[in-house]
Amino acid sequence: MRTTIGRGLVLLGLLAAAAPATAQTPPQTSPQTSPQTSADSDHLGVQSCAGNNCHGAVQPIGASRVPQNEYLIWSQKDKHAKAYAVLKEPRSLRIAHNLGLADAEHAPLCLDCHADNVPPDRRGPQFQLADGVGCEACHGGAERWLGPHLSGEDHAANLKAGLYPTDQPLPRAAKCLACHLGNDQKFLIHKIMGAGHPPTPFELDTYTAIEPAHFVVNQSYVERKGRPNDIQIWAIGQAVDVKLRMDLILNPKHAPKGVDFELSLFDCQACHHSMNDLQWQARASTGLPPGRIKLYDATALMLQTVAARVAPDAAKTLHDHMLALHAATAESWDAVKREAGAVRDAANALIPALQGHNFDQGDAKAMAGAVIGSALDGGNLDYSCAQQQVMALESVVAAMKALGFADDKQLAALDEALKGLYAAVADDQKYRPDAYAEALKAFKAKLPM
Amino acid sequence: MNRLALAALFLLAAAGAASAQSEPPLGIHLGVATCAGSNCHGATQRPKNSYVPGNEYLIWSKQDKHRTAYDVLLQDRAIKMAQALGLPDAKSQKLCLDCHADNVPDDMRGRQFQLSDGVGCEACHGGASGWLGIHISGATHQQNVAAGLYPTDQPVARAEKCLSCHYGDATKFVDHRLYGAGHPRLAFELDTYTAIEPAHFVVDQGYIQRKGRITDLQVWSVGQAIALVRRMDAVLDPKHAPKGFWPEFSFFDCQSCHHEYGAYARPTTTGLGPGTVKFNDANEVMLKVAAMRVAPEAAAALSEHMLALHRATLDNWAAVEREATAVRAAAQSLVGQFAHHEFSGDDMRALADALINLATANTDVEFSHDEQVTMALEAITAGLKSAGDIGPQQADAIGKAMGAVYAAFPNDATVKHDVFVQALRNLQRVIRR
Repeated sequence: MRTTIGRGLVLLGLLAAAAPATAQTPPQTSPQTSPQTSADSDHLGVQSCAGNNCHGAVQPIGASRVPQNEYLIWSQKDKHAKAYAVLKEPRSLRIAHNLGLADAEHAPLCLDCHADNVPPDRRGPQFQLADGVGCEACHGGAERWLGPHLSGEDHAANLKAGLYPTDQPLPRAAKCLACHLGNDQKFLIHKIMGAGHPPTPFELDTYTAIEPAHFVVNQSYVERKGRPNDIQIWAIGQAVDVKLRMDLILNPKHAPKGVDFELSLFDCQACHHSMNDLQWQARASTGLPPGRIKLYDATALMLQTVAARVAPDAAKTLHDHMLALHAATAESWDAVKREAGAVRDAANALIPALQGHNFDQGDAKAMAGAVIGSALDGGNLDYSCAQQQVMALESVVAAMKALGFADDKQLAALDEALKGLYAAVADDQKYRPDAYAEALKAFKAKLPM
Repeated sequence: MNRLALAALFLLAAAGAASAQSEPPLGIHLGVATCAGSNCHGATQRPKNSYVPGNEYLIWSKQDKHRTAYDVLLQDRAIKMAQALGLPDAKSQKLCLDCHADNVPDDMRGRQFQLSDGVGCEACHGGASGWLGIHISGATHQQNVAAGLYPTDQPVARAEKCLSCHYGDATKFVDHRLYGAGHPRLAFELDTYTAIEPAHFVVDQGYIQRKGRITDLQVWSVGQAIALVRRMDAVLDPKHAPKGFWPEFSFFDCQSCHHEYGAYARPTTTGLGPGTVKFNDANEVMLKVAAMRVAPEAAAALSEHMLALHRATLDNWAAVEREATAVRAAAQSLVGQFAHHEFSGDDMRALADALINLATANTDVEFSHDEQVTMALEAITAGLKSAGDIGPQQADAIGKAMGAVYAAFPNDATVKHDVFVQALRNLQRVIRR
């Protein structure tokens, strides 16, 4: 109960911060907050955070509320720190050349996600583009909040001054997905993929953990920010993913051109699979005949599983519109847009329900069953689906851990079974639905009763 | 009257009895058994005074996949495919049988006709009721053809016949729905596929006297021209116009989508940007190489229209149709020229060079091109050999070098490009020698 209230308070702060960015949109809890909000404030640079008394310590100092090694974790383990450096590698140069660009490291197209690419007049003296996706790329330009932050103001006050609320699932989802999926300003269109950019799988809770997270959920964290719930983070991440995907479909920039259409909206492996195997299976969740390219629907299917638990009516609406969306691809782009709009609304409508739901042990158990059921009973065994299912189960296991639902022995067995799942989806070109289904059954057998 | 003629009389009598009720239409398909007599085409050694080896039936029945074309429909994969397409099975479907058997209408099937014979003699050579009599009575080839024997010896006719299934025509076509359900990719090149069928004819003195000398390069180049005409016909067929915003994917290069994505994006010669799906232009690329040697102006026109066709895919379907019509005309205009061109040893060497240079240039890394280049080189080396242009020692070296080229293809959808390039350079050296 306490955590719910804490979360509610913080959300109020978030909504205040988000208001300027969402002025034209309906009063939804729209995840489209930054970058506009953070662009208001100068980005001072990673250096300003990395002091050894601040976030660049090797161990906590005094009565610090945070471990203070955030900078070290980021700089040594986090790929965000190398996001810019990667642009100088031969592969990036090749991608740039394929796109007719001189290089990648100066191209806004690349920098918008491979660095904290705020306009030059928003860059403080210590700001360095080469720092990659640095602190302020996610936490917001610190010019206005660094003062109160250093002076021991509480989290809510920092937020008010412009700190981005990455602790809250909805804004975190919007922030991460802005690059890990795309939004109206940046999107990995198929042209960039075709030039050699790798695909970008994502799931909010799993990627928070494997970043690796540079925060620790301890008593103080919970008091200041509320207790995060892995299943909730996962669920909201899925909802925002679906919503953003529908926005991408609805974006006129991505409408079909001649017989060419924006292939990034579709499931990669619908095309990029070997022709040597008989792989097509009828799928009730798409209703598509063989030989058709399917819109990416893995996150929508995950959203359906959690919606069925939290808001069954909304789950039905989402399901019906997803089916209609698949059917619409055989009709016209207008029909696609119509159904994408409906799916978008359905996903959006689910967000408050997901935010308000207190995901407990019963939910964790139910979600494990529903995710596995989506694969084994629903026949959703496409690679993209499997990938999302495995990450969903990772989140469920994390929740079980946090909720004290499983003992250490059970958790160890689940972790082992998760490894089997990850192995089954490690390489999309070698993916075998039957082997994956076996790994899923092995995982299922380890679930606590 | 010799024994062959005697046998024919019996056969004709049998055929007559089968359709006694109504006037038999010409071109009834009498069935494989009709041809497979041990004195006819089912001999193990050449019958006396025979123009042909006589073992044609044996080669077909033991080595030729056409023989098992129907059987394949009974296999697990075909059953799964049928299910995916919402069909009860494959073996009774016109969709499948039209190419997996000699699926003529019931009233065109003689008494010994069996659908399960697969792609039997008359599927290619034509229903024999009109010509079997004179055929076994010692008629000339021209007389047989005039009576309805299909002229498979002629490159144009052969290309039309083979491609009607190996690519498709107005009535039969492997569209992407079939591929999606699991149909294997259709790969084809007329001269190579004639050889690996394996051919059940031998080009000897008797063959040349009766049918003329037809060269591998004529067969290859005509095959490319007609394949391209057929592709454009399919593009122009209203049945295959886009449904909604979906184009018919089988027009496009399979590996354009069905490739692993790795660090190496593929450069293209189409003028299209990265990430776009491109029309399968392998036949056009081959035809262009041939035309540059034989008819340079036509080659330029072809190239120009094909580029325009690629561009048109980003425009709209009407533009695609316009350019497809132009490409079709350009390809059609080359058919006659190639059918009668005498490819010299110099021609063949120059073509081999041009093809190898094309495939080893790093601006052209396309499976579909590599595959066609390989088969073209097979045709060229066969052509050099049969023209007596190379001695046995060089032929042996070329054979080995070709083996290395084939080894660059671990399966029918992948080429190890580095290995391929190296093998081609080696082949180039061996051919130039």
